[in-house]
Amino acid sequence: MPRYTVTIDEHEFDIHLDFATGNSGKLQATVNGRNCLVESYPLGTRQSGESRMLMLVDNHTAEVDVRNSETYGEKSVLISGIEIPVTIEDYSLAQMRKTAGTTLGHAVETTLKAPMPGMVLHIKVSPGDKIKKGETLVVIEAMKMENSIKAKADGTVKSIHIETGRSVEKGDRLVEFI
Amino acid sequence: MIKQIQKILIANRGEIAVRIARACRELGIRSVAVYSDADKTAYHVRMCDEAYHIGESPSAKSYLVQDNIIRAAKASKAEAVHPGYGFLSENAIFAKRCTDEGLIFIGPRPETITVLGDKIEARAMAVAARLPVVPGTTIDEKDISKAKEFAVKIGFPVLIKAAAGGGGKGMRVVDALDQFDESLKSASSEAKSAFGDGRVFIEKYLLQPRHIEIQILCDTHGNYLHLNERECSIQRRHQKVIEESPSPVMTEELRHKMGQAAVDIAKRAKYVGAGTVEFLVDKDGSFYFLEVNTRLQVEHPVTEMITGLDLVKEQIAIAEGKKLGFAQNDVTINGHAIELRIYAEDPDEGFAPSTGVLKNYRPPAGPGVRVDAGVVIFSEIPIFYDPMIAKLVVWGKNRLEAIARAQRALDEYRISGVKTTIGFHKTVLAHPRFLAGDFSTRFLSEEYPDNRYSPYDADLAEKAAIASSLDKFLSDRRISVGAGNGHSKEQSLSPWTAVHRKNSLKQFRGSR
Repeated sequence: MPRYTVTIDEHEFDIHLDFATGNSGKLQATVNGRNCLVESYPLGTRQSGESRMLMLVDNHTAEVDVRNSETYGEKSVLISGIEIPVTIEDYSLAQMRKTAGTTLGHAVETTLKAPMPGMVLHIKVSPGDKIKKGETLVVIEAMKMENSIKAKADGTVKSIHIETGRSVEKGDRLVEFI
Repeated sequence: MIKQIQKILIANRGEIAVRIARACRELGIRSVAVYSDADKTAYHVRMCDEAYHIGESPSAKSYLVQDNIIRAAKASKAEAVHPGYGFLSENAIFAKRCTDEGLIFIGPRPETITVLGDKIEARAMAVAARLPVVPGTTIDEKDISKAKEFAVKIGFPVLIKAAAGGGGKGMRVVDALDQFDESLKSASSEAKSAFGDGRVFIEKYLLQPRHIEIQILCDTHGNYLHLNERECSIQRRHQKVIEESPSPVMTEELRHKMGQAAVDIAKRAKYVGAGTVEFLVDKDGSFYFLEVNTRLQVEHPVTEMITGLDLVKEQIAIAEGKKLGFAQNDVTINGHAIELRIYAEDPDEGFAPSTGVLKNYRPPAGPGVRVDAGVVIFSEIPIFYDPMIAKLVVWGKNRLEAIARAQRALDEYRISGVKTTIGFHKTVLAHPRFLAGDFSTRFLSEEYPDNRYSPYDADLAEKAAIASSLDKFLSDRRISVGAGNGHSKEQSLSPWTAVHRKNSLKQFRGSR
């Protein structure tokens, strides 16, 4: 039966699923060593990339929407009005990853993507520039507002993939870092 | 002369168009929607009795095209035009055009809009009406040295504002002299692109002001009333995100003084209709005139919740030439109301707009909850317009009940497909300073300098971890439960039962 490593905001969950004893239709989950009984009932029809369910964890209710992102292993979970980004891996693969010393997430991010669709108003950096965290890199006009796209970390600009006055779609590559 | 209006064209979209259509329907007035390409099936179109296409998706090619709106009004034989907020609502030329074409413009007279819409002229009128104003001056673009001198004299930070501004557009805070030129340039260019008018002026930037505004209502018979205050200090990028009434710091004495000041400028402007006089209130309780908004405000529902009035119906009655049906003494405050603007934005990414289709949308309900939305499930939040999804308005017998109710309603709200500001609101409402009512317009930048609004919640995180495990388990095994086949008995089963049965079946057959 499956065992997963789930990472949320740098907190790790070791989750082991198994069928509960008896034909109860419930599942036994071990979450970081703690056992609980889990039930889940689908809500409505399953849509591609998204499922909705009523989940009961030891009879504690939670209505959740789980949505798969474009990146494999990344999901977002809508619960109590808020959306929580989640990374999920098979336990064994996560162990291998850790042995190899690779970390999850933003540490290896070298591409700045457009967080919204809009028009490029200004490009404030050029290839070779050393940039500081929080520095404005690009200004995009969207919904009549000027939005400054800032550096998430210190780094060096490798290349620029946009031009002033051109429109960009959400997720388009803007700037590449070394 | 009283003219009963039979049909109103709503020159707007989104939640405010829906809001106005609702008032029309209750009054037995027929409503006419206008829509752009992007809004063909928008909720406001569904909520109106008639609908007319007015152009392409960008608002400059549809909702801002006066000819097209006038044409739709004529074609539908509407007698009046309600402009809502934004778009043409504070456009004096459009107001005059309506009047010239024999249409009733539901709003103040064009001359009033012209004077009050120009922040420089409005300031002068406030001074004439003996309202206190923040020190400030106009900027001559050909010689900005005088403005710089003035800024140095009153001391930094100063605020550069567009004369035609609104909604934080064309506004910049300048912390030091060396930023002056760049801020001036970007404020002016933003103002020019948003309003077609690049004139700007500067004002002393108060360090810890509250933004408190007074709702006014004036008929054509010389009755000028105020409907108490709205506290709108919780702002980001000078845009309001949480509003409430009454203000947690308001005293009966200050309310009387500010209300009187609002009525004074309304009288001076011979104001007609609903409007809002905005003030900055300093820590010591002194207040300064900011501007007059000559339209219905986004946050008008909080006033409706505590006064029991319907401001859109009042606007229509005033436009019909009726006298206000109540006097200042009849205006009371019942309980406490809070409005939370739910935007399709990512608060953790500096409130970047998040466009897309609402894959799930279920608003909260129950006692004391009102949701004014321009969307339903599967609605699209287009890139072309303001990314507000809805206004969640709650009422409580006092402020604490209203806050608890707001938290409850936010928990109930389910929106997926776009990022929203729901989590942001939950975080802010729980902040000790918000609970204590101890905040200024700087609250968000002071308390959340890194734009981090999603604190880690161990209980929710654990549930999310379990849910994602279940989802992965189910989808990896390609078990579709209840998908498509309405006749399947398994649809009503727990997926675990289904998994269990399939597993048993596999074992029984001896296959993998």
